[in-house]
Amino acid sequence: MKRIVILIALVAIAGAAWYAWYEYDRVAEHTSELDAVETIDAAALLKAYTDDENAANARFNGKVLLVTGTVREVKAPENGLVDVVLETGDPLAGVVCQFAQADVPATLTTGTQARIKGVATGLLMDVVLQRCAAVE
Amino acid sequence: MNRPLSLVAALLLTTAASAQERYATRTGHISFQSETPLERIEAHNHKATSVLDASTMAFEMAVLMKGFEFEKALMQEHFNENYVESDKYPKATFKGKVSGITAEDLKQVGSKEVTVEGELTMHGVTKPVKATGTMGLEAGGTIRARGSFIIKPEDYNITIPGMVRDNIAKEIAVTVQVDLARL
Repeated sequence: MKRIVILIALVAIAGAAWYAWYEYDRVAEHTSELDAVETIDAAALLKAYTDDENAANARFNGKVLLVTGTVREVKAPENGLVDVVLETGDPLAGVVCQFAQADVPATLTTGTQARIKGVATGLLMDVVLQRCAAVE
Repeated sequence: MNRPLSLVAALLLTTAASAQERYATRTGHISFQSETPLERIEAHNHKATSVLDASTMAFEMAVLMKGFEFEKALMQEHFNENYVESDKYPKATFKGKVSGITAEDLKQVGSKEVTVEGELTMHGVTKPVKATGTMGLEAGGTIRARGSFIIKPEDYNITIPGMVRDNIAKEIAVTVQVDLARL
């Protein structure tokens, strides 16, 4: 009986240690694997932030969004990252989707219609989405 | 559009004549490193907005706290939820002035040692900071600035739980890299 208790305790300790290590070592999931909490047009997203930034922060920041719109610009790669800017109708502000360079499909070019998932981080001059992934 | 104008935005919306002395970027790189014997923690943000007014050497930066990316997801979650409370305080801003270089220096290619002194607002607390680094005009016409400074989490009312206190440095090294284009 004593051996069984010791065995159960050891299995429990090993399980807890494995879980702690798994949690510690976990990396962020690729956005393409995550469900978007909301689908929104790029112009509407910028308007939501500029109309009431606090409300938009609470509604969008840290969440995966599916943003739709026309590609205004695909910037040159920098530090392994590529910014895809979606048109908003405001020449001073866009929705900037930051991609890992390897994740930018060749079909994503200026003037094309895009559906992009990304994690909203807030508004500076532009609305910024990170860890972006194009959606077919 | 009812957009509140921050000073950064106001600087960008100036007349063409005065804009000739202004340089800006929306892709500044800010990183920070915490180094202890137990753990090295590093995070990067490539979306800092920065403006330099070369006529006054006023320098500003703004960064979204949720934009800092860590190697490990758990670190990023703890950073946002427990330490900087990025839901409550979504941005950090810096307003300061560059010394050691003049508007005339920035008309010729070359780099100089500079000091940037100003106020950093983060987690609802504003404190003076002093950064050292280099700044100068590149052959392509952009102004390249590199600098670093040290901050203490406790100065910004950031409380580190006792369980991980030995894993996080008491002084955090912050590195800034911006390439500013003429407006």
